Amino acid sequence: MRTVLKPLIVIFACFAAFASRDAHAQAALATFDTPPAAHHTQVKLILSADTAKPGDTIFAGVDLKMEPGWHTYWKNPGAAGMTTEIKWQLPPGVTAGEIQWPLPKKLPPAEVTTYGYEDEVMLIVPLTLATNLSAGPIDLKANVSWLECKEVCIPANQDVEAKLNIGSETKISADSATIESWKKKAPYSSDLSITAWWEKPTNGDLRPLIINFPTRFISVRIDSGDFFPDAYDQFEIQPATETISNLGEIRLRKFVKKFSSDWPKEISGVFLYRVPDYGTNAFEVKFSIADKAPANDTILSTTNPPTALPSQSLWQMLLYAFIGGLILNIMPCVLPVIALKILGFVSEAKSSPRRVRALGGIYAVGVLFSFLVMAAIVIGVKAAGHQAGWGMQFGSPIFIVCLTTLVTLVALNLFGVFEVTLGGRTLDAAGNLAARHGASGAFFNGVLATTLATPCTAPFLAPALGFAFSQSAVTIILIFLTVGLGLASPYVLLSWNPAWLKFLPKPGAWMEKFKIAMGFPMLATVVWLFNIAASSYGKNVLWLSVFLVVVAFAAWIFGEFVQRGRKHKAAAAIITLILLIGGYAFALEKELDWREAMPQTDSTGSLKESADGIDWQRWSPEAVAAARAAGKPVLVDFTADWCLTCQVNKQTSIEISSVRQKIKDINAVALVGDYTHFPDAITTELQRYNRAGVPLVLVYPKNPDATAIVLPAILTPGIVLDALDRAAR
Amino acid sequence: MKTTFALLAALTLAASAFAVEVGKPAPDFTGTDINGKTVKLSDFKGKIVVLESYNSDCPYDANQYKTGAMQDLQKDSAAKGVVWLLVNSVNPKNFSHRTAEQAKQEIADKKIVADAWIDDSSGAIGHLYEMKTTPHMFVIAKDGTLVYDGAIDNQPDPFHNPRTANNYVRDAVDNLIAGKPIEVSQSKPYGCAVHYAD
Repeated sequence: MRTVLKPLIVIFACFAAFASRDAHAQAALATFDTPPAAHHTQVKLILSADTAKPGDTIFAGVDLKMEPGWHTYWKNPGAAGMTTEIKWQLPPGVTAGEIQWPLPKKLPPAEVTTYGYEDEVMLIVPLTLATNLSAGPIDLKANVSWLECKEVCIPANQDVEAKLNIGSETKISADSATIESWKKKAPYSSDLSITAWWEKPTNGDLRPLIINFPTRFISVRIDSGDFFPDAYDQFEIQPATETISNLGEIRLRKFVKKFSSDWPKEISGVFLYRVPDYGTNAFEVKFSIADKAPANDTILSTTNPPTALPSQSLWQMLLYAFIGGLILNIMPCVLPVIALKILGFVSEAKSSPRRVRALGGIYAVGVLFSFLVMAAIVIGVKAAGHQAGWGMQFGSPIFIVCLTTLVTLVALNLFGVFEVTLGGRTLDAAGNLAARHGASGAFFNGVLATTLATPCTAPFLAPALGFAFSQSAVTIILIFLTVGLGLASPYVLLSWNPAWLKFLPKPGAWMEKFKIAMGFPMLATVVWLFNIAASSYGKNVLWLSVFLVVVAFAAWIFGEFVQRGRKHKAAAAIITLILLIGGYAFALEKELDWREAMPQTDSTGSLKESADGIDWQRWSPEAVAAARAAGKPVLVDFTADWCLTCQVNKQTSIEISSVRQKIKDINAVALVGDYTHFPDAITTELQRYNRAGVPLVLVYPKNPDATAIVLPAILTPGIVLDALDRAAR
Repeated sequence: MKTTFALLAALTLAASAFAVEVGKPAPDFTGTDINGKTVKLSDFKGKIVVLESYNSDCPYDANQYKTGAMQDLQKDSAAKGVVWLLVNSVNPKNFSHRTAEQAKQEIADKKIVADAWIDDSSGAIGHLYEMKTTPHMFVIAKDGTLVYDGAIDNQPDPFHNPRTANNYVRDAVDNLIAGKPIEVSQSKPYGCAVHYAD
């Protein structure tokens, strides 16, 4: 459904138009009291020394050799199974330490994942000899009990023993090297800086836990990571691990199931990651779990914020919003408006300070009002169940046509073709800029500045807005108003301290030249908007340009003969109206059919931009599935014409020779998803990756079972090349 | 993409985890018992139901049966009007799978007291209830609410005397009947992994 728009100019009509747019062993029983012969595991005890002196610490190795297909369990058996136990029977003066467990493997099936060992494992135990131990041979005995499983599980136990001579000199045994090699398979004790937090507040007995380990400062390249938790009675850290990110950090999501009492505050286990061409590094870790993500956390704060947010981070987001708004003033899309503002100040500087302040205030009100309208639209769109995003109005062709026309008129106005008489004042002298920058002019400037600012995103603004889009209505309004305050603040400050304006030259003839010069950035904006419109209307966009010429001509007649003419004013006014209505009816309504944008042609051909460019194909879930089924890595770029960050990413880091070559080398498929007109399929895909909008660049590894690598919002060639390299392995 | 979907599906399952969640309605299922009779959970509304993930070849489960403790619990429960359903999710290729005839023989040999032995060799019910081990016990209140999910008792080994352990199922059933709150409503199930079909 589309709203019929009253043609022309009032920008909120355009906003409204968009808003209303739709937006086991028989054995087991029989061999229950198992004779050793029925085991599928052979156990022996070896020592690192033949002779040791009192005060030494030697190492015992309990070696379990499993028959093919059989496995035994780690200290945390996982979802089923039983840990191997060693019950020592040691002579006085010999103390056994904790078992050093080699790194286990995750064993299938997925629904009952266990941690265990296949083929062989050696459990290492330090044995400390008392200083008062008398010389001579001693017997070291232990009873080892374990559960061995294949298609069936069999509990078993066996006594093992070894002899150690106590003497005056340590003599290592023939087995010492074997023990040493197994010791190396145990995780290192470490001080890894792991942070962890609950992703969400409690909701039942299962709660997602985020474990984060920064890898960007490690010189070697690091691959997939995992966390093998210790076993707990009160809760279970489920074996399934989901990798959220492994670029610059290893971020994992685990689910914790609580059986009783409280959620754990601290957990321990083994953290491991793979270093390509080297192997797996594993570390003993212990870390506390925070109630929420760290305040400076980038991924979570923009994509998946906890629902109950403490006020502290809201304050931070408000600060970001303010700084972001401030920076918006100098972003390219707002720059043309700056010209208007500068003129405004120059012309008003000579007026009374009170009037300057009032105009500064009105400008701020204009900005804030616009942001309030945008907040309302975002809330409305969200309430209607659609995904809202910053700059989303640029996805509406109706909005684009309105804005193109408006900016064209602003340019013509700056060129002096006609004057704007807002607030009912008439102009008699072209040089009298004061009238144009009256109260309504100031308000209009605020609205225009905001409208043009929306396709731009500034540093600090992205986290604040990403945060806002997922929050309650009140928070959205608060954040939006704060961005507005940031945008308006320099001018409000200047208007309250007109003395700071002294750096500006005195008003004079230069102002007229400057004004005309500033018309050109406006024309550049028209070209940019026109280009966006072209993607909606295809070749028919010609009729938009025809309309713009008619509008320009009408503006000239209006300015020359109605505003400045002396005779036939009425006739000139009628001609102006005929031109506008005729131009609108014929060019926009009849030929362009502007309110019904051309449906996107779903061609599957190449979308190559130049002869040697990347051979882009149109994105679809099926295209990704097909490429992955063929065992090819896939690069997906979700982009939009109105998304400046996407364009910058493409120019600097995607459509570049090194990436083109890499894509050819690894035989990757490049898919582009155009989000310019908010197709539902892409909205769904973005939501799957917790994104409020584009850019989103994904790299799917060659291995069809691996998950996609999600690239950060701001790309560098290195990030893209690295991701493609990893995808090709 | 397929994997992404599968992953997301898995995640959704894990997150919504709860098809089975203590305090929530126990998910309904329809199965076939070894006599070919259809067993539907919701048909037992108004009665307390115990689900037992069963494989007597598993030493943990075997310990409960060899000592006769499980059968005593089944008998006592039956006397209190409790419906007892055995769910055997062992896949047909596994050694521990039982044909209907073998199952009937096993019921007789072991003097098992159950309202039904459900052949779940497809694993449908096992997966629905996320049965991880044998045994893995569930107690469902008269109104269909799941009130216990976890281990049979508090001694996770295959050697103990079950009669001296704290049996969570007995406690849950007795407290339900007495109208008292259930002290342990969840615990980590222990035992052999359920030998599901691949």
